[in-house]
Amino acid sequence: MSVAPGQQDQRSKAVLRPNIKEIFLLVTGILMLVNIYMIFMVAPTDANLGNVQRVFYFHFPMAIMSFLAFFTVFVAGALYLVRRESRWDNLSYAAAEVGVIFITLTLLTGVIWAKPVWGAWWLWTPRLTTTLILWLIYVAYMMIRAYAPNQSKAAVYGSVMGLIGFIDVLIVYFSVEWWPGIHPAPVVGPLAESDSLESTMRGVLGFSFLSFIFLLVYLVWERVSLRSTEDNVKSLRFSLRRSRAGAAAGE
Amino acid sequence: MLFILLQTQVPPSNLPYLVAAFAVSWAVFFIYAFFVARRQRELQAEIRELQQALAERDSAQDSGD
Repeated sequence: MSVAPGQQDQRSKAVLRPNIKEIFLLVTGILMLVNIYMIFMVAPTDANLGNVQRVFYFHFPMAIMSFLAFFTVFVAGALYLVRRESRWDNLSYAAAEVGVIFITLTLLTGVIWAKPVWGAWWLWTPRLTTTLILWLIYVAYMMIRAYAPNQSKAAVYGSVMGLIGFIDVLIVYFSVEWWPGIHPAPVVGPLAESDSLESTMRGVLGFSFLSFIFLLVYLVWERVSLRSTEDNVKSLRFSLRRSRAGAAAGE
Repeated sequence: MLFILLQTQVPPSNLPYLVAAFAVSWAVFFIYAFFVARRQRELQAEIRELQQALAERDSAQDSGD
């Protein structure tokens, strides 16, 4: 049985695509396992906070991953508004959903870490309050998209909200500089001091960042492919309805 | 033997908090990945069903013509 060259190409792509994703997932899994080992076995115990300080090695990277995800929402949303291509909207939506997961976990791990260190689950400090606002903005983003009258309007509303919502990411990052308080200052980025972390701690934190970047990319990738599958189902359902309507009109 | 006291207080380990933070994070990641993968499988199955239904409808129309 012979297959047309175009079809063969599509088939080989379909066979290759899951393999690349599976390899990426495997690498991500290995990195995350090594990351756990490094957090518990390599990173030194903090002299002041004790073992609970190890929460820092995933609390902080998760916060930065949520910022990266929301930056992706910002860029993909802007590209959608300019080009009106659904792939940018799919990327924007996927990044927003994964970003919400990361920011939710940042808040949860922060709350768990705060109790033994500050003696309270939650304090209304500028950093915590602006982060909670960030969470609310992107939860609202998901809700607005869910309740929009149609997909193209949802994409436009989402893109605009992604552009405006990103302002709060900058406010969260600079909040400790603008309103200094109990929350620690940044240890990476433009506001970080060069000697703010011990060298082994810095190495473990760097590895943790690498692992979480892989996890972020994998989750966004998986969500984008789910979104395109959802679009395929919608278009097939539409074709079937049209075909049935045409047959009924013919009778 | 001479002992030198470097710290006046040993920091508390607070291990339950550390375990809770890790457990919550991993549980959320696994649950999210599980639901995305399950939804993907369900939709792939639906795509196959829809494609089959469309093919059957097309062949029925062709035989009717």
